[in-house]
Amino acid sequence: MRNKIKVIPRQGNTLREKLYLPAIYQGMKITFKHLIDNVSDSNSVDTLEYPEEQPQDITSRYRGLHRLTHREDDSIACVACFMCATACPSKCIFIEATEREDGADEKMPALFAIDTLECVFCGFCVEACPCDAIRMDTGIFSLTGNAREDFVLGKEQLLAHRGAFKEEISRARK
Amino acid sequence: MSTASIIVAIASFALGALLALLMIPILVWLERRGAGLIQDRLGPNRTNIGGFRLGGVVQSFADVVKLLLKEEYYPKHITKGKWLMMLAPVITFVAALLAFMVIPFADNIVIAGESLRVQPLPVEYGILWFLAIGSVGVIGVFFGGWLSHNKYALLGSSRAGSMMISYELPLGLSILSLVLTYNTIDFNAMVTWQSQTFFNFLPAWGMIIQPLAGIILIISLFAETNRAPFSVAEGESEIVAGFFTEYTAMKFAMYFMGEYVAMNTASAVIITMLFGGYQLPWVTTATLLENFNHFAWAVVIILPIIIIFFIRWMRKNNRVRSTVSTDGGRSFETKVLTIALVLMTLCVEAILIYLIYMPSILGTSIAVTLFQIATFVVKLMLFNLFFILVRWTLPRFRYDQVQNLGWRYLLPLSLFNIFVTSLIVVGVNL
Repeated sequence: MRNKIKVIPRQGNTLREKLYLPAIYQGMKITFKHLIDNVSDSNSVDTLEYPEEQPQDITSRYRGLHRLTHREDDSIACVACFMCATACPSKCIFIEATEREDGADEKMPALFAIDTLECVFCGFCVEACPCDAIRMDTGIFSLTGNAREDFVLGKEQLLAHRGAFKEEISRARK
Repeated sequence: MSTASIIVAIASFALGALLALLMIPILVWLERRGAGLIQDRLGPNRTNIGGFRLGGVVQSFADVVKLLLKEEYYPKHITKGKWLMMLAPVITFVAALLAFMVIPFADNIVIAGESLRVQPLPVEYGILWFLAIGSVGVIGVFFGGWLSHNKYALLGSSRAGSMMISYELPLGLSILSLVLTYNTIDFNAMVTWQSQTFFNFLPAWGMIIQPLAGIILIISLFAETNRAPFSVAEGESEIVAGFFTEYTAMKFAMYFMGEYVAMNTASAVIITMLFGGYQLPWVTTATLLENFNHFAWAVVIILPIIIIFFIRWMRKNNRVRSTVSTDGGRSFETKVLTIALVLMTLCVEAILIYLIYMPSILGTSIAVTLFQIATFVVKLMLFNLFFILVRWTLPRFRYDQVQNLGWRYLLPLSLFNIFVTSLIVVGVNL
């Protein structure tokens, strides 16, 4: 056991360290250098001038705003199986099913709404979906509105969102 | 009293009030921008009036408007005598403001054989005034903490009070050793003393002659102003906002502004007592007056160089990045400011050249006074920047560590320093 004990040397007992002032001087040197560098060229500061400059580094794994995917014929991929609404921890997905007339499938949603004020953007709905019909790959990270109702996204809005990356159509419905 | 003395008194009072009050928005802005740039961010730079951002200073005025329009909230237990709660921040603010008023901004100006003080309150006991009025500020803090009827506020104010007691001692003792050295309690006489040379080549600044007393004075003044690393009277993690937990709107703003006035006062006192006040090193007022032409030519040459560097810096930095499409009126602002700066420089140059070729005693002494005021303001800004740099560099001390430092280290050190100083002073005068 004994040879496994690693002794960590205690710091702060020398006179130089107890004086504080040399350490303060070193710290001030670092902050002063940052200040001078940034004052002499403020455009080199690595920040985003947000509303004018938009982030360019959103990856395909980023969980943005939801969208409903399409089939190859551009019709809705969702079959209204309620898997996403069941998986949803914040109970913010509201679905009403109806019969599908074009024969491609049996069911489709008549109403599909997501209350984004309730949504926690966990991505469970995307994982639960058996048809790859709901995805969060729009890359949209901000949603604005003037009333609470503006934040409840309906079926048409969700279908109108396009993926920001590849794979436009539902992979399950090729 | 002659007309000249009245004019000088009014002018120096106005200058003192301007320096103390106008410095508040500038310091708030400097603190926020400085903190941002130290931490590799930008800080507030958007607010503008008609496209004029002035680097973001306008933000401070927007903040004042916001604070004025906010709801006046009083705790429920205050049913009558609301003025008492309003009075507390005013005490702190006014104390800091009055303490600033004894700082000399330039050497005594001689007009028609009359020596006039360029000091808002022309008193000869500056240090006593500063010590007396400077300590009144904590009464406002105590008042506010007690009236708030809130445990955090009471804790914060009692901390401020005990800090005051433990740091007033080393402060007073280090000032005492400086007084022994300078053999005066007059701020202006101290600056005059400091414009001598030491060993014939070093400027006889207090920081060089009395380094220990200087360091103790600076540390104690940091503690007096309640700023980081000694900000124990407020602390989000322990006692919410400390003594101003229950304060809102303009009442809070008075405390907030009082803190910056106190910081400004502390910088001014440090400069006056330790860094040669309004004087440049190696240059006394007599030298300035005798060799006025040389100094005027030096200013005529150096001022445009500084202005050119400033304009180049502005043209480089007052731009948006290439990735941003809207300019936001920045190029227009740069153009207007450039023209204004060039015109101002030309005015100053013209006046100086006129004074060189048409020498008059009055004009020369006024120009020298203005030059000393400019030196003082530059030094003041540098020291305020130092205060800000320290705040954003050092972590806070824990409360007991602050008390330890005050009682166990600074107090004995300052006593020891007085002992050594007295020995030397007596020895030199024997």
